[in-house]
Amino acid sequence: MSLVDLMSMAKPNLESRAKIFSKLKGRDLVNCFQCIKCTSGCTALKLLELKPHEIEKLANLGFVDELVVSDVLWTCVTCLKCVQRCPQKASPYHVIMALRNLAVEKEAKIPEAFMKAVSQILETGMAEAYQKISKGTETFDRESLKLPKICSPGEVFQTLFLKALEEK
Amino acid sequence: MKTAVFWGCRILTSQYAYEMSVREVMPRLGVELVDLPEALCCGDPVKSVNDFAATYLSSRVLALAHASGAEHLLVPCNRCHFTISEAKRSIDGDRKVSEKILGMLREEKLEYDPNMRLWHVIDFLHGAVGLKRVKDAVAKPLKGLRLASHVGCQIIRYSDLGRVDDAENPRKLDELIGAVGAETVDYAEKLDCCGAHLMLSHLDTAFSLAGAKLRALQELGVDGLVVSCPDCGLMYDFKQKDAAATVGVKLDVPVVYYTQLLGLALSIKQEKLGLHLNQSSVDKLLMKVPV
Ligand code: SF4
Ligand code: SF4
Repeated sequence: MSLVDLMSMAKPNLESRAKIFSKLKGRDLVNCFQCIKCTSGCTALKLLELKPHEIEKLANLGFVDELVVSDVLWTCVTCLKCVQRCPQKASPYHVIMALRNLAVEKEAKIPEAFMKAVSQILETGMAEAYQKISKGTETFDRESLKLPKICSPGEVFQTLFLKALEEK
Repeated sequence: MKTAVFWGCRILTSQYAYEMSVREVMPRLGVELVDLPEALCCGDPVKSVNDFAATYLSSRVLALAHASGAEHLLVPCNRCHFTISEAKRSIDGDRKVSEKILGMLREEKLEYDPNMRLWHVIDFLHGAVGLKRVKDAVAKPLKGLRLASHVGCQIIRYSDLGRVDDAENPRKLDELIGAVGAETVDYAEKLDCCGAHLMLSHLDTAFSLAGAKLRALQELGVDGLVVSCPDCGLMYDFKQKDAAATVGVKLDVPVVYYTQLLGLALSIKQEKLGLHLNQSSVDKLLMKVPV
């Protein structure tokens, strides 16, 4: 089912729409004139059917609550081609990121890996887990490659990062 | 030139070859690199969760670079470079954000410097060090190699933010490859994305994107693919087998970091450049490197 089909039963929510606009800090979502330039070059169009111009239209119309719970938000590859090419500076990538942030605020279901990255940063300071590299029969790590040790986060940082995550 | 370096998570946790080769080539070009041991994540994956928290993480990197006494900050990862650039723009342009961020930084006795100059490896070598200096340093020109370049997405887009190279026709990496004596090819898929971000949500699609580009390059018969971002390195080199399985062809494309290639031309030992860590068939490329 396409995103637009999902909207057939929906009602616009102007409060949520205002929230998205406040997160966009001046990027001109409202100026989107549906030229579809963004979608025609979108990396995620062919494989995942992401149509950024539809997201723009629906956000403009206020169907934000529906967008926030849609899996489609998480198909963007963040290649930034749409931001670059949009003639109206309507920045689909930034609209998608604002919607993702709102999805987290509203505790919608989001791909696990994102929250896992956040808790890893809190714990280890790194969004990625430390890996040993195997090649043939040998295994290498930072120590065997004589690379400097990685630091762990301090308590002050952890408190500040948690505080930052509360910000809406 | 004293330059702080921020590696980011991906390089520090798996893309050691990139780190090793940057550490080897920079001092030979007159660059003194200063590590920022207390720097943590730049905030990239956090952008999807909470933009302010991501801005805070980036601001901390900028403040630590300032505390190191450097005026230049080298960021070899495309995603980190983009995340820090956007954070910088929002701190410099939004009083409400900057007041909050500066206050948080003060709690760790850190200070934000709006004049910190941000570089990626590509514009740093091309502009700050200079193409000529790179050329002059070459001891062993890599004649006869026919390579493809992949600059990735986030250091060239979006132009309004101030990026490393032209968004639609990036040339700097090609020129840097030229500077070490190798030849580059233009190909239709040059600006296609590696797909790394989808590793967080759509694994198969991520591999399809990486595989499609590698397949095109294989058909073109290039000697190798040159990258300059740890995410692109991860997808094209480390995950080449997964990419091959997903697109259903046998792939055998050597993938190297630009700094590894440069290191070879500077006559640095292969092991010091981490060439034994690449997972793609770099031996095939190394066999063609003149001794
Ligand atoms: S977001 Fe921009 S590129 Fe996309 S349809 Fe609207 S105006 Fe066109
Ligand atoms: S940033 Fe996302 S929405 Fe924009 S073109 Fe790339 S994949 Fe499509």
